[in-house]
Amino acid sequence: MLKTLWCACHLAGNHVLSLSTPTAINRNIFTAPTLQFKITEQLCAEPLKKKKKMDPAIIKAREDRRRKKLEKQIRRLEKNARQLKPIDELEIPLNVVDQIGKRKRPDVKLSEQEVEARALLQKEWSRYKRAEYMSTVAQIDRIMGAQKRALDMLYEESEDLYNEAVMPDLKLIPYSIKGPVATPPIKNYDSPDGEYIDVSKKWIN
Amino acid sequence: MIFKQLIRPQIKLCLRVFRKGLSTKPQWEIITGVCVERLPVVTPPLNDIQKKYKEFLWTIEVEKSLKSDHEIRHENDKIQAELLKSDSQDVDLDAVSKITAQDLEDAATEELSQFKFGSIETEADKKGDKTTTDRCLQRHLVLVAPVKLGTDVRTILPQGKWQEGETLRQTAERVLEEHCGKDLKVQFLSNAPCGFYKYKYPQGSRTDDCIGAKVFFYYANYQGGAVDGKEKKFNWLTRNELKELLPPKYNKSVQEFLIEESW
Repeated sequence: MLKTLWCACHLAGNHVLSLSTPTAINRNIFTAPTLQFKITEQLCAEPLKKKKKMDPAIIKAREDRRRKKLEKQIRRLEKNARQLKPIDELEIPLNVVDQIGKRKRPDVKLSEQEVEARALLQKEWSRYKRAEYMSTVAQIDRIMGAQKRALDMLYEESEDLYNEAVMPDLKLIPYSIKGPVATPPIKNYDSPDGEYIDVSKKWIN
Repeated sequence: MIFKQLIRPQIKLCLRVFRKGLSTKPQWEIITGVCVERLPVVTPPLNDIQKKYKEFLWTIEVEKSLKSDHEIRHENDKIQAELLKSDSQDVDLDAVSKITAQDLEDAATEELSQFKFGSIETEADKKGDKTTTDRCLQRHLVLVAPVKLGTDVRTILPQGKWQEGETLRQTAERVLEEHCGKDLKVQFLSNAPCGFYKYKYPQGSRTDDCIGAKVFFYYANYQGGAVDGKEKKFNWLTRNELKELLPPKYNKSVQEFLIEESW
């Protein structure tokens, strides 16, 4: 297609080039109106070269080399990937795995009454927890409301003080608190077993 | 439109400032009160349903568990004892342990019964001493102090006047130090006040520019140290004691921002 076009341009070239200027007298040998396509650019074109065919074996070899390189990189990454911290508590000790048949308890057979009582207890518990949750939420609302009221009042009194009060307290973090314990600590208690030292393995993350 | 939105807060601000300037509203004194609370040291006692459910969970736990080393050993001991009794030939005498699992268990039980846990009832509880934090370990305690109000002294949360140039949080810290000395270590939980109370001065002590006080409460957790107040009487009170001691309205304002104890 390209080739034919090129030939056609070449043939028609001389006439069209010489006659396309508007001042020239129209002495076109063609009866058809002047062709409106440009020729110079087309003249520079030449038929495309045929693509060199590569040896499929060489291509395959190249591909292989590339893949191998990638694989090597992945392997290196995997090797250096951070080891996950094992959870000792979740791993069953091997001796227990061995004796698992011996260690199984006989299945408990619950009477119908017992099953019923358990189900009722579960239901009662979930009701209790719901009530507890609702009261907790209500308490949080109440406390937040109290603070909001205090802040509103402060805003009314002095805007500067209000602006100071709503600033975040940066000294609060890091914050740590020790929760309530089951039994109160004994004063001056000297542990007969010595001090407790945590010897579990430290994992550096 | 955008301009309108931008300008609206400015207009509002101007209006407010203008109104403040115009009005001869009665002036209130700003006062900061500090609520120092000692959190419970020991968990509160379980109620009926909690006890029941705990027991239930424990039975399920046991049912689903595997036998422990101790139980296996105990079973082996029993088998060995049977064999010994029946005088069979192939009893390996070395294998019969001298100390049985039962013996171990008895010894451990004995040791446990010897051990005494720390008592929930402290010395102060027995004496009815309210001036120390070492009381009512299962409850929240709030510090109250004698505060001079006008001519009489009332026992309320420590409070003091705000001074020009400090933030309310700084006032709270200063007030607490003035009342309780430097030994008391507390942690304030916010820059913002957590509660509010307003009262009018009695007719006699009212002045033109000051008719009452607005109290802003700050909340802090007790961390350690003692209150320095030999001559003054500081008390650490539970919720119910607060209710008895404080004036009803004041108490309501205070309890408004405190965690309620449900037992």
